[in-house]
Amino acid sequence: MKQPNKLIRNFCIIAHIDHGKSTLADRLIEMTGQVSKRDMEEQLLDSMDIERERGITIKLTPVRMFYDADDGNEYIFNLIDTPGHVDFTYEVSRSLAACEGAILIVDASQGIEAQTLANVYLALENNLEILPVINKIDLPSARPEEAKKEIEEVIGLDASYAPLVSAKEGTNIKEVLEAVVKYFPSPSGDEDAPLKALIFDSYYDNYKGVILFVRLKDGRVNVGDKITTFRSDKLYEVTEVGVFAPSLLPKNGLAAGEVGYIAASIKSIQDVAVGDTVINADNRAKEPLPGYKKVQPVVFCGIYPLDGSRFNDLKDALLKLQLNDASLVFEADTSQALGFGFRCGFLGLLHMEIMQERLEREFNLDIITTAPSVSYKVIKTDGESLFVDNPSHLPPVSEIDYMEEPIVHADIYSPPDYLGQIMDLCRDKRGVFEQMTYLDANRVQLEYKLPLNEIIFDFFDQIKSRTRGYASFDYELTGYERSKLVKLDILLNGEVCDALSMIVHEDSAYSRGRTLCENLKDAIPRQLFEIPVQAAIGGKIIARETVKAMRKDVLAKCYGGDITRKKKLLEKQKEGKKRMRTIGSVEVPSEVFMQILKTNKD
Amino acid sequence: MAGIYVHVPFCKSKCRYCDFTSFPDKIGFAESYMTCVYREMLMRKEELSSYVFDTLYIGGGTPSVIDESYIAMLVAAAKKYFNLSKNAEITIEINPGTVSASKIELYKQCGINRFSVGLQSAVDSQLKDLGRCHGLNEFFACAKLLRGENFSVDVMIGLKGQSLGDIEKTIEVAAGSGASHISMYALTPEDGTPIFTDYLNGELPDGDEVAEMYAFGVKKLRGLGYERYEVSNFCKKGKESRHNLNYWQRGEYIGFGVSASSHIKNVRFTNTFDLDEYFKCILTNHLPVIDREEVDRDGQKEESIMLALRTAKGLDITAFDAEFGTDFLGDYKSAIEKNEKYLEISDGHLRIKDEYLFVQNTIICDFLS
Repeated sequence: MKQPNKLIRNFCIIAHIDHGKSTLADRLIEMTGQVSKRDMEEQLLDSMDIERERGITIKLTPVRMFYDADDGNEYIFNLIDTPGHVDFTYEVSRSLAACEGAILIVDASQGIEAQTLANVYLALENNLEILPVINKIDLPSARPEEAKKEIEEVIGLDASYAPLVSAKEGTNIKEVLEAVVKYFPSPSGDEDAPLKALIFDSYYDNYKGVILFVRLKDGRVNVGDKITTFRSDKLYEVTEVGVFAPSLLPKNGLAAGEVGYIAASIKSIQDVAVGDTVINADNRAKEPLPGYKKVQPVVFCGIYPLDGSRFNDLKDALLKLQLNDASLVFEADTSQALGFGFRCGFLGLLHMEIMQERLEREFNLDIITTAPSVSYKVIKTDGESLFVDNPSHLPPVSEIDYMEEPIVHADIYSPPDYLGQIMDLCRDKRGVFEQMTYLDANRVQLEYKLPLNEIIFDFFDQIKSRTRGYASFDYELTGYERSKLVKLDILLNGEVCDALSMIVHEDSAYSRGRTLCENLKDAIPRQLFEIPVQAAIGGKIIARETVKAMRKDVLAKCYGGDITRKKKLLEKQKEGKKRMRTIGSVEVPSEVFMQILKTNKD
Repeated sequence: MAGIYVHVPFCKSKCRYCDFTSFPDKIGFAESYMTCVYREMLMRKEELSSYVFDTLYIGGGTPSVIDESYIAMLVAAAKKYFNLSKNAEITIEINPGTVSASKIELYKQCGINRFSVGLQSAVDSQLKDLGRCHGLNEFFACAKLLRGENFSVDVMIGLKGQSLGDIEKTIEVAAGSGASHISMYALTPEDGTPIFTDYLNGELPDGDEVAEMYAFGVKKLRGLGYERYEVSNFCKKGKESRHNLNYWQRGEYIGFGVSASSHIKNVRFTNTFDLDEYFKCILTNHLPVIDREEVDRDGQKEESIMLALRTAKGLDITAFDAEFGTDFLGDYKSAIEKNEKYLEISDGHLRIKDEYLFVQNTIICDFLS
């Protein structure tokens, strides 16, 4: 038995969005001298464009650092980033499983937020040591002592040794580094035991194949080793191993306790699952490492290529995204209105938006997405039950006995001033009040039971706007409940447009139908004929608007010999038409399909 | 059939809607400019020696603001350098307030046989809004000078505060002047022109209102004996503008002067829009062409359709098939079927139905590849 290197510290950072996680990570990297200032792009860890623009971290980006501690030893730090948003709890649990410690950043002026709390509990469940760090002490509104008190009261952690820092100004960063050495344990495990490495992330490289991000718990892995995983029977020969510096830096081998990557010419994306355990094919470990629970997608939508001939490109793009993000699920689907595409499942709305953006930016695809839906349980009259997440797959009304919808338990944290607004909103969204707890003079926790399908539209935006951004919100699925649900269809010029159908509660069907018709009336460009836009429930029309016929569409000034310019104008108009879908005889621009998301007329 | 266009880029003052190349402050350069135009014609003489030209159109700007002798020399140069057919249509654009009896007389003497007068509106306040430098009275004076001549009058719809009554009056004034041809254009607020601000401020009639004005105008014009032969052009029997018809039939034409466009042997090209650049090119014996596009087979077909469908007569299917070796009705079956409600086929022509001519873009787009 050989203990792993005692000078290794594997940890992650837990923080609420914009409490300064990336900034602190940047400072730690700077102070350890791993990366020269010159090479350091601002906010090093957030490497995807979308992350940078939205200021959030989605993917896990590990970094290795060397630190000369006051005790005279040089330590190896492996920092594994964690996403902050509630949609990505799954990814958090992945990174936590690869660490022994977690730095908890708390904003000295804002205290602990709901989402952070959820991640702290995840870390405690994973037996991680937690080091609280109070950040943004440079702000005039900073109340470090109150923040400490809150940590002790809400989480029950001793915050007396918490470093007080300003990541932005680089104040007291050294204290954090010393605390990492002092409070986080070195990795356990056995270097002589058979290889066990947890895959906590992966991505596809065009030259090297799938790159596995791993944390070695036991054993060693070297170039030339034959490896496999617990869940697959395929054998691979290791072609490269290395560490994150933070770009890939090849090494001869990795040993227990270390964090690094393995490349083994793995071509097929489906063969390696994140959460699986890599083992040595010639010296197999008997037990896998505990993986993480496979999370179920909760929000679904259809994604279709704008240009129908790019179906295969869309498929390839989704496969590549799935390699990095096992929580993305999809299957081929067809729509009368939109043609061939995919039904995709996501962890939440933000997750959905991010994926849509990545498809457009990283894969240069123009896509049409349908309204998000949740998965309903349908109990048919013959006693059979099935799950339906696509409204157009709903059985005929006559065959449905009843339907159940997913219910969540929601925790909403807010200053007391906004309780009224929040309660109004929850009532509008069919919420059932469960409990209210005063956490301190400035924070109240509201607990509600809410149908998930009410949350996926604009709940989050509404919470933020009604509380001026002060409230935060977290939810977990608790099960299914019977509910009066109906399928709302939209008819354009008398024909049902399947891509616009949705399942809604009976009570809100009328107002939803009316709003939708109004929004669609404005979004559908006028055409040569009048277009009725109708909402219907099971054949009964409940709302109607009319898109008037277009009356002027002409290059009225077409004289002079400048025909080239006229032609270009027409070609541009033609291009615009190309981006439309034809439903029956109506040409509908792709943006229209997003109109369904809006619940208010604006 | 082929035409010659000459651009005279000078005017008294810039109208608020104008996005043509015209320099109100540079009339002093007229002599140098016209000399360059004659020279540009000479430069093209050999190349175009096999052409017979049926029309000469002198446009602007306001060609009537420069000394009439330059115009006379221009027509003489065109006749000298090119084969201008005996009964060629020779048109000049003139504005009320810029012509005198002697000027018109010289125009006629040099061979000009058609005039195009910019009236735009018979309501003085609207003329002011447009930045026109004449009133209704100047138009009457101008019309008097043109009595007995073959001339066209331009009118506009879609003006700020314009009522159907205003349009009626304008059309009656134009018709009453004895015009054989009336062009009725919808004001197009181009970005960069002063009138675009009016548009942004929401002061101009919207598309529906303009459509109503247009329908009203068409009816009024018809009542007065002016038949529509193209979206914006109306005339008494046989008085079509041959020069403009040539554009819509995808005919060939050569343009001289700044910003003039040409279409020769399936190549479309445009001269520089910059006056200095134009001078420099001509004085160093270079053609002032800045843009040149060879139109391929598909492009030619698209142009033919797009232009022909602007006209009331429509597309001559037999001629199209003969030119391109196609089966038009088969090749464009889906576009024709999709728009069958808006199209009609008779006398071997495909045309957009009368009532849909003002929403033709959508229909035409379906015929583009």
